[in-house]
Amino acid sequence: MSYLGSIFSGFKTLLTGLGITGKEIGGKSVTELYPHVEPELPEAFRSVIQLVRFEESGSHDCVACMQCVKICPSTCITIEGGKIEGIKGKRASEFEIDFALCSLCGLCIDTCPTDTLEWANIYDDAGQEREWVYDLLKPHEAFEEQYLTTRRAIEAKEAAEKAAKKAAVAKAKAEKAASEAASQEASPEKSDTTSEADS
Amino acid sequence: MNPHPAPALERAHDDETYYLNMGPQHPSMHGVLRLLLRLRGELILECDPVIGYAHRAHEKMAENRSWIQFLPNTSRIDYLSGMIYNLGYCQAVEKMASIEVPVRAQAIRVIVSELNRIQSHLLWFGTFLLDIGGITPFLYCFDDREKILSILERVTGSRLTYSYGRFGGVSQDIDDVFIEQTRSFLTRMRKQAPMYHQLVHENVIFRKRCEGVGVISREVAHDYGITGPTLRAIGVDYDVRRAEPYSGYEQYDFEIPTRTGGDCLARFEVRIEEMEQSCRIIEQALDALPDGPVKPAKFIKKLKPPAGEFYFAVESARGHFGMHMVSDGGDVPSKIKLRTPSFSLLSSMSEVLEGTMVADTIAILGSVDVVLPEIDR
Ligand code: SF4
Ligand code: SF4
Repeated sequence: MSYLGSIFSGFKTLLTGLGITGKEIGGKSVTELYPHVEPELPEAFRSVIQLVRFEESGSHDCVACMQCVKICPSTCITIEGGKIEGIKGKRASEFEIDFALCSLCGLCIDTCPTDTLEWANIYDDAGQEREWVYDLLKPHEAFEEQYLTTRRAIEAKEAAEKAAKKAAVAKAKAEKAASEAASQEASPEKSDTTSEADS
Repeated sequence: MNPHPAPALERAHDDETYYLNMGPQHPSMHGVLRLLLRLRGELILECDPVIGYAHRAHEKMAENRSWIQFLPNTSRIDYLSGMIYNLGYCQAVEKMASIEVPVRAQAIRVIVSELNRIQSHLLWFGTFLLDIGGITPFLYCFDDREKILSILERVTGSRLTYSYGRFGGVSQDIDDVFIEQTRSFLTRMRKQAPMYHQLVHENVIFRKRCEGVGVISREVAHDYGITGPTLRAIGVDYDVRRAEPYSGYEQYDFEIPTRTGGDCLARFEVRIEEMEQSCRIIEQALDALPDGPVKPAKFIKKLKPPAGEFYFAVESARGHFGMHMVSDGGDVPSKIKLRTPSFSLLSSMSEVLEGTMVADTIAILGSVDVVLPEIDR
C-alpha cells in the first residue's frame, strides 16, 4: 500500500472506531451504582453459611453430628453440642464459623444430614480484625427456650403415648396369657402349638 | 535471600547492555510476573521469566486432604477457567473411581464450561487490547463478560471460584431461566461480534502492532509443549475436546479454528473464532438437553479410588490442562501433579522474546494469554 493510501485507511479505521463509540455514548448505561443501588442477589448466592429456621419446629435442627466439621476443607467450623435434658439426641450448644477462612465451597451444606445449613445473603460485610467469626446460633437464641419447651412437651407426649401403648400391649398379652393358661389347663395336649405361635 | 539469583546477571556484560525488571509490580504485567530483560537499547537480548510470586502449593495441599476436599482448590488454580478446572478434576476422579455421571449433568458441564471459556476469552480480549493501547474495547467486552458471570452466578452462586462440580454430577440443576438467559446471551454475542471486528480487527494501529510480531515457530511450540489457541495459531489443530473427548464432546459439531501465522494476529483470530465455536457447542447442548438427575441420589463424600496412577486432561481456555493422579487406595490422594498450559507458554518466552523490542513484549505476552496463579500453582 502506498504511503498516502495507508494514511487514508488508517484514518478510516480510526473513524470507524470513533463512530462506534459515538453510537454507544447515546446508549443505556450498564454500570450498577453500587453501593447506592442494592444488587439483586440470585437465590444460589454464596456468602457465609447460616442455620435454617424450620417452620414446623421454629428453630434449627443441628444435631451436632460434626459431619460438616469433618468435611470442611478450610477447617473453619467449630461446633460444641451435647445432650439436653428431656430431649432425645444431641443438640448444638455452640456453632461458630470463621468466615475469613471459609472457601465458600458448599460441601458442608451438601453433607448435612438434617439439611439445616444454607447460604446467607450477606454481601456487604466488612471487618477491622483478622478474625471474622459468625456465631450461627445467635439468631436462634431467642427461639431456643420456646423450641425446647415445645420439643419437651412433644417428646413427653410421645413418651406417654408410647408408654400407654406399651402398657396396653402388655395388658393384652397378660390377658391372653391368662386365657391361654386357662385353656391349656383344659386341654394340655395343645400346649406345643400355642407356645410356638406366641414366640 | 533472593531465591532467584538472576542468572542473566552473571553472564558477560558489555558496556551497552543493561538490565530491566518488568514486574512484578508492572501495570501491564499479568498478575505478579517478573521478566528480567537484558537489553541493548530497545532490543531484547535475553529474557528470563521469574515466577513463583503467587505460589500457593496446591499440589502439596492435595496430599493432606481427602479427594473431595481438594475440590475448592481446583477453581483457584486458573481463576479464569475455574469452571473448566473444577469440572475437569471431578471427571478425573470419576474416571478413576468409576462413578457414573448422568447425561444431563454431562450436558450441563459442557454448557457451563463453554460459557467459562467465552468469559475467559472476553477478558483476554479486553486486557490484551488494553495492553497495546486500546481502552474502548475493554469496556464493551467487560459488559458482555458480566452477562456470563451473572448467568453463572445464578446457578452456581459464585462469579469466579465456582466449586460447582460434585463427584457424579453438578451441585445444582439449571432451570428455564438459565436456558433463556444463555440463549439471549448467544444472540447478543453474535450481534456484538461484527462490532468487535470493525472496532479492533480492521484498526490500523492494532494490525501494525500484531502482524508478524512474536512469531512462535513449530519447533519452539514442540520443544516447550505449547498447547491451546497459541498452538492452533501455528497451524496444529490439536484440541483435547477433539483428540480425547470427555463429557460428551464427541456429540457436538464444532470446528477447531486454526491459523498458520503463529504471530499475535493469528492468536487473536483463533481466539475470536473459538468464541463463536463455543457458542455453537452451547446451542447444540441446549437444544438436546436431556432430562434426568444431575447428581447421585446420595452425596459422595468418602471415596477410595483403586490404587494406581491415572492421567486425565481437559481443554482449558489456555490449552491442555492435565492431572496426573496417584492413588494408594486411600481417601487421600498420594499425589496430584497438575500440568497447566500457561507454564509452557511462559517458559517459551525466553526464546520467543529474544530479538524483539520492549514494546512488543507487552503485545506478545498479552497475546499468549498467561494466567500467573496457574503457573505458580
Ligand atoms: S462452605 Fe466450605 S469452607 Fe466454608 S464452612 Fe462450608 S465446608 Fe467450610
Ligand atoms: S452436619 Fe448439620 S447437623 Fe451435623 S453438625 Fe453440621 S450443621 Fe449440625
